[in-house]
Amino acid sequence: MIVASGKRIGSPSDLAGERDRLCKLRGSGDKGVLVCVGTGCAARGSRRIHELFVEAARETGLAVEAVKCVGCHGFCERGPIVVVQPGEILYQRVEEPDVPEIVRETLLGGRVLERLLYEDSATGRKAQTAEQIPFYRAQQRIVLASNGVIDPKSIDEYIAADGYAALAKALSAMTPQQVLEEVEASGLRGRGGGGFPTGRKWRSCRKAPGSPKYVICNGDEGDPGAFMDRSIMEANPHSILEGMAIGAYAIGASRGYIYVRNEYPLAVEHLGWAIEQARQAGLLGESILGSGFGFDIRINRGGGAFVCGESTALMASLEGRPGEPRAKYVHTVESGLWEKPTNLNNAETWANVPPIIARGADWFAAIGTEGSKGTKVFSLVGEVVNTGLVEVPMGITLRRIIEEIGGGVKNDKAFKAVQTGGPSGGCIPAKHLDARVDFDELTKLGSMMGSGGMIVMNEDTCMVNVARYFLNFLREESCGKCTPCREGLAQMLEILDRITHGDGRVGDVEKLEALADLLAGTALCALGKTAANPVLSTIRYFREEYDAHINQRRCPAKECRGLFRYQIDEEACKACGICRKACPVDAIAGEKKVPHVIDQDACTLCGTCFDKCPFNAVLKI
Amino acid sequence: MGRNMVETTEEDRLIERIVARYDGEVGMLISMMQDLQAECGYLPADQLRRLAKALDVPLTRLYSVAMFYASFSLAPKGLHEVTLCVGTVCHLKGAGKISEMIREEFDVEPGGTTPDGLFSFQPVNCVGACAMAPVIIVDGTYHDGVTVEQAREMLIGLPSEADAESEAQT
Amino acid sequence: MPTVDIDDKRVEVEEGATLLEAAKKAGVWIPTLCHHPAVSSQATCRICMVELDRGEWTQLVTACNYPVRRDLVVRVSSPAAVKARRGVMELLLARAPGNEVLTALARRMGVEGTPWPTVSNAQRDCILCGLCTAVCEEVIGKSAISLSGRGAARALSTPFRLPSEDCIACGACAAVCPVGTIQIRIHRQEGEIEISPLKTRAKLRTCERCGQDIASVPVTAEAIDRFGGDWEKLRRIAGMCPECRRKTTAGVLGRAVGKT
Repeated sequence: MIVASGKRIGSPSDLAGERDRLCKLRGSGDKGVLVCVGTGCAARGSRRIHELFVEAARETGLAVEAVKCVGCHGFCERGPIVVVQPGEILYQRVEEPDVPEIVRETLLGGRVLERLLYEDSATGRKAQTAEQIPFYRAQQRIVLASNGVIDPKSIDEYIAADGYAALAKALSAMTPQQVLEEVEASGLRGRGGGGFPTGRKWRSCRKAPGSPKYVICNGDEGDPGAFMDRSIMEANPHSILEGMAIGAYAIGASRGYIYVRNEYPLAVEHLGWAIEQARQAGLLGESILGSGFGFDIRINRGGGAFVCGESTALMASLEGRPGEPRAKYVHTVESGLWEKPTNLNNAETWANVPPIIARGADWFAAIGTEGSKGTKVFSLVGEVVNTGLVEVPMGITLRRIIEEIGGGVKNDKAFKAVQTGGPSGGCIPAKHLDARVDFDELTKLGSMMGSGGMIVMNEDTCMVNVARYFLNFLREESCGKCTPCREGLAQMLEILDRITHGDGRVGDVEKLEALADLLAGTALCALGKTAANPVLSTIRYFREEYDAHINQRRCPAKECRGLFRYQIDEEACKACGICRKACPVDAIAGEKKVPHVIDQDACTLCGTCFDKCPFNAVLKI
Repeated sequence: MGRNMVETTEEDRLIERIVARYDGEVGMLISMMQDLQAECGYLPADQLRRLAKALDVPLTRLYSVAMFYASFSLAPKGLHEVTLCVGTVCHLKGAGKISEMIREEFDVEPGGTTPDGLFSFQPVNCVGACAMAPVIIVDGTYHDGVTVEQAREMLIGLPSEADAESEAQT
Repeated sequence: MPTVDIDDKRVEVEEGATLLEAAKKAGVWIPTLCHHPAVSSQATCRICMVELDRGEWTQLVTACNYPVRRDLVVRVSSPAAVKARRGVMELLLARAPGNEVLTALARRMGVEGTPWPTVSNAQRDCILCGLCTAVCEEVIGKSAISLSGRGAARALSTPFRLPSEDCIACGACAAVCPVGTIQIRIHRQEGEIEISPLKTRAKLRTCERCGQDIASVPVTAEAIDRFGGDWEKLRRIAGMCPECRRKTTAGVLGRAVGKT
């Protein structure tokens, strides 16, 4: 349901008036149900749950508007998430049969359903509201502040939450130069992985000769494991529009593009609605808020190519060509889209702009570290108890994120490494868990903060196979234009394939390092230049695993097939005979009531017995 | 699959409509091709030729674009569309095994279609639902935390054209 | 005009000139493969890597497309630059083992052989430099071929891998191909010219006087088209080989002064 008055807002004072009017409409004691329909919760059926709540509302005489769709909270693993007002009671893992009970007990009766509350696995304590959940409490949500609170399809809710006030301030009380200075003073650096000072980039673009100028939002978010931008685009699309409009004003651009990867259809939909509504309200288009400044935005979808997250490849895509990067000896701020001055920023970067203008550079610069100001949204995923999006000030340690907010490693397994920065990043071992997370610290350790993906890996992960996975990913996604990336990745993959299949040779590690060095120096774009980072960082911190694979044909993590053995645990074995019958080479001997035994000489290490045993009695050794 | 059999004049009109939707802007070529694929189920060569002519752009450009971006298909797709996320987290949670199962048991390569045309299989690198790994998307519906077994059952259970017809008759 | 210090030489160049042009002016040799004066810089092969000395740090860049916009210090013979070029050549040699052009160039660079096995599937030694597609697009204006597919699947191809509908069999692609992947084949019996491996076959126009090969029929048709004339008028130019054209013109002139 799209909620918008459709009224045109002609001036900053009109906007303020509209905000006041909308705020008065909502009472703090109002009943309401906020159902998250972000991609994660939707994958678990939250849309149907939303429909059921709407039906229930009709039946019980509740205002249907009280049932709202909201965007991604970021705590996707606990989805579907439903928040009941008043009281902000947060229910997690809600299922369809729960709906009538929630309506009856909580909405109408004011009673809390304990079983749907979040339970802290360490203390056993139940949390009623988000505030009481350690995962949320330790966060400082600026960019994600409205996620899960406002209906992404409602410009009214955005305005009521001070939306577009920063744009109004910029257009009416600041010159473009002053906006530039404010963003520079804030210390904001690009959130997409490059970390380039945003204000400086804007200034270069403003200075560059040529017209028209373009601003672009990079919503390509290709790093697997990272979904920060998805969440922002789905849950709070207006924040990006507002940020881009402010940037366009500062730079002197009149056209904006939001490039959203093809795999994010919901983000495309919500951004589309937002643009429509903003145009209707006069917040996009000619003479915004009566200021004389005109700016409009169009959405382009990607076609399915990781390399289009690279700025020149993205621009090629916007020109209707294959997304092949080009040299950046002449920067895109001078010659970018259609060879015009173009300023490209990541979605999260744009979302930071309205708060900076609204609350001031000093406020922003007070958060974070000396070189890395503000907060950063991380996607904490993998083998961690609480997976989801975490927004914290820069400078927080990895340990705090993984243990305090993330709740530590799942299933009592040991922490092995955290992979940061996506395919351009590296793996960081336990000994560096106290490293502070910002643009520069992780780079010193051989990784990088990247766009914010943090994949936690446990003791059962083979780090050589992790390197192989990333290399395979990059080889598929490489555009293939330049020799070192195309040929070099193929060579590196050949080596890693051999190593993970027990065919490694002495000297392979040195070969990998030589190729890594070559790629870093000669590849045409950042994909190729950073492609070897996962390999290099795993060699740096997990060399013994490489050595075991190569010298002993053994995978210490017992992941690489053929490089470890299987053995049946006598005590756990129930002699059911399933493994014996399933073994393709009849290598298992045993009778009823007698623990079965694997003949190691005959065993082909196929792993069928391990997969089939219903009692987990087959061990990897 | 009636969609693939279209009259000539209707094909011309489709291209006209698509080009007009974007004011003939060559920069919107990818969006145009996405719309074309959405209409036809894939990118028919003749339609690409028409589009190239309408935009006054060399056919090689359209062909290169179709070959570059993973979401484009130059061959008719299956009755159903199966997308498997093979991003890092899904991979760590066993997407690789699911991919192997699909390839072996349904005889389909990534990007291809099963021999009986039942479904097309497209692995993608991360759909952003990492907390729900591994994720498989069947005809636009997301399924989270799937095991190899669950994936197998889901795919075996996909209705064929014959099933759909007999459904329609009852 | 900015100054470029290249190894031990110094030259002045126009602003916007490339490092490669500066090197040429200075008489310093840098190997190239995907560079051709007739088309824009591809910068795909990466064999022309040189090292820029920026004082506080150094940077490896491709000489063929790096624009000189202020005074620069460039090292062509530095260990890092030599190592980079060697590394790239070794990868190319692995891709197209035994290719004579690559082997000769490697030798000139001081590179003997490669430590890498062949792991890619190069179509007749094609190194994907992009010169063929560039000349077809930028000079001939036909865009009949492209490098399509991504990564390891990238290959020179025609749309749908069918014989190109736009190729006029002019042979420009074969002329610029640095490694001999694209070849012109004359099929005498059928009177056809083939551009291999593009599967293009076209009838050959032969000289009306002596029967020598001139060019493909589509090329001459294209020429007529572009010069806006009709065949009768252009026959004298397009229907004869250069030798016969000369003789005919001489004959015409001679008649004019009454000597023939």
